[in-house]
Amino acid sequence: MASFTPAVVMDNGTGYTKLGFAGNDAPSFIFPTAIATRNTSGSGKPSAPSKPSFLTSSGSSGGNLSQKRGTEDLDFFIGDEAITAANGPNYGLNYPVRHGQVENWDHMERFWENSIFKYLRCEPEDHHFLMTEPPLNPPENRENTAEIMFESFNCAGLYIAVQAVLALAASWTSSKAVDKTLTGTVIDSGDGVTHIIPVAEGYVIGSAIKNIPIAGRDITYFIQNILRDRNEPDSSLRTAEMIKEQFCYVSPDIVKEFNRFDREPERFQKYLVDQGFGRRVSVDVGYERFLAPEIFFNPEIASSDFLTPLPEVVDTVVQACPIDVRRGLYKNIVLSGGSTMFRDFGRRLQRDIRTLADARIHRSEVLSGTKSAGVEVQVISHKKQRNAVWFGGSLLSSTPEFKSYCYTKQDYDEMGPGIVRNFSLFNVP
Amino acid sequence: MLLLQYHNLLLQTILTERLAIDASPSSIDQIVSDFDNVAFHISTPERKSSILISLYIKCFNDLQKYGVEELLQRKYGDYLLPTPEYGYNVSLMLDLGDKEAGIPSNIPEEAEARQDLINEIALLKRNVIAAPFEIAFDKFDQLSAEAAEKSLELYVPEDSGAEVMAIHYRDEESIFIKPSHDRVTVIFSTIFKDETDRVFGKVFLQEFVDARRRAIQNAPQVLYSHKEPPLEIRHVPGLKTGDDIGYATFVLFPRHLAPQRRQNCISHIQIFRDYFHYHIKCSKAYMHSRMRYRVSEFLKVLNRAKPENAEKEKKTASGRRFEIGRR
Repeated sequence: MASFTPAVVMDNGTGYTKLGFAGNDAPSFIFPTAIATRNTSGSGKPSAPSKPSFLTSSGSSGGNLSQKRGTEDLDFFIGDEAITAANGPNYGLNYPVRHGQVENWDHMERFWENSIFKYLRCEPEDHHFLMTEPPLNPPENRENTAEIMFESFNCAGLYIAVQAVLALAASWTSSKAVDKTLTGTVIDSGDGVTHIIPVAEGYVIGSAIKNIPIAGRDITYFIQNILRDRNEPDSSLRTAEMIKEQFCYVSPDIVKEFNRFDREPERFQKYLVDQGFGRRVSVDVGYERFLAPEIFFNPEIASSDFLTPLPEVVDTVVQACPIDVRRGLYKNIVLSGGSTMFRDFGRRLQRDIRTLADARIHRSEVLSGTKSAGVEVQVISHKKQRNAVWFGGSLLSSTPEFKSYCYTKQDYDEMGPGIVRNFSLFNVP
Repeated sequence: MLLLQYHNLLLQTILTERLAIDASPSSIDQIVSDFDNVAFHISTPERKSSILISLYIKCFNDLQKYGVEELLQRKYGDYLLPTPEYGYNVSLMLDLGDKEAGIPSNIPEEAEARQDLINEIALLKRNVIAAPFEIAFDKFDQLSAEAAEKSLELYVPEDSGAEVMAIHYRDEESIFIKPSHDRVTVIFSTIFKDETDRVFGKVFLQEFVDARRRAIQNAPQVLYSHKEPPLEIRHVPGLKTGDDIGYATFVLFPRHLAPQRRQNCISHIQIFRDYFHYHIKCSKAYMHSRMRYRVSEFLKVLNRAKPENAEKEKKTASGRRFEIGRR
């Protein structure tokens, strides 16, 4: 029987927010990190919150009463409701998180307010919270988060964890993960961008992080282009996305895969699109099944400005790290995010990285004339990959010692916001 | 979002998904929490098609004294399990049926009836806490009928002798309900852990007291007392005393207790504490956004006040001047 006030795990990503309670195996809510606020006098910029009337000069007294008791600050929607509201008049859509970091704290505070009270329905004073932050988040942002969580919501306790570390923790559920270690390379591929983050014993090696501009959205666009080239009856983004999720997989070798497609016509499939109004059309699904995820490994087929394959970037990242952790980084390459969900993605990545590493070892053996013990390369994929960060958070915060790692409201009152600059790491069992 | 909803959104979402006519069975195991340390556990322990929903509520012992079992029997009779899941107080079992194993479904077939069922289950917490309120309102009916017989003067304060029902729904906070022949008094004891919250709370409660005087005549009368418990509950044993405790009293008059308003009234009043705390937090958020705006305004002023780059004469060590742009 779990404790009756489970910790709350909140992962606010650029695109989607994952909310839920510790101990569960999936987030309770996944919705866009969007907030729709009422437009004031049609200006595009988020304007200043209206002043309460007692602050303005007493000259304009007309219609003050309604202004005084106004609740404009409560007139907003978040998540899917925000998208719906923004389609109608009077509401404008805002995304408070940009590039993983919170940009607009006003909006974020209200976003949290609604997440906690409307969606999770919990009294923050009774619960501990685990929040996430991107790697290289400035400590000031942490402090701001703590200020809001403690001063507005009086939450019982707070722990802020780095997303990459949580993704590592999530991989412990995999059967391939032998020792529960917080050393490893995290490949986090979402919709907009793919990050490669090396983590050594729970600390992110910031200087070695690399981003590549190929992620889920590029794959979708790639499929859409193929559909358009073939003149399919439906080539909407939605269709492309569904094809990506249902049919795509990673092939070990494209040339062989092309041949196999030609030999086995049943590999070509059809996807039925419901266009609404009872119209249904059928879209052919062909080579894009393995070509689309291939852009991670051969980016030149989709883009002209970014040409380094993912395995090569991973290898560079590991090589940029201190030499004593490289072995651990090669041994524990962890996938996270929706765009790593393709079948055999991990296997192909492992093979390609191993080839690169072995080639280098061979070269150095030739040059130095000594024998190397070789390096073990292992890519770990697991079932919870899609929401790996959230799941890792849920896993860690359901441990009995989680509460002792949190800072409580008393600690905050004693030390001030600076306290959250350092969190003690979870003891690795 | 001005008002809080009465039902549990997550419970509703999960059930709507799973009870849809064409839903494919899948296993669930989720802990869902609600206000006031209420926890739900929704799981599929035996097979994918039988859904177990359990509720834990702190004050269940209190509620048991006030007829929660009859209410549950009335509302969820068909689904109620005789012995709840271990560690929980109430368990409901929904069976979607299994055609292969020949197990019949116990939920209605029609989409509308299913939706009603889902909504009713999403309101489980509300319904459980409603039990003592319903009893109090029935008692009020009885007392007022008696009073009418004896043709007592209405609004004469009179000790009805009815017992004060205490529901200790949180660790340190309780609801007290006292029916009498012309009113039902509901008293919330409140504690603020935080100094700022207490200040905000005081202002809010003051506003509640004043609201009736100013605009909303039909609202129930609200009284607020700090430290001193109101007369109605002064004799109740075990009242906590302290500096940070306060009592908010709602006096429900017959017009609030009309049969068609009753359920609504119960919903409104039992969410009071959460509503109250939610708005304290919202107003703090609002203050913070004002402060951020202020700071950014001040920063603008400060940036304008930077000294202009005064051209300073530069000399070399030997005293010669740099003369730029003279040649």
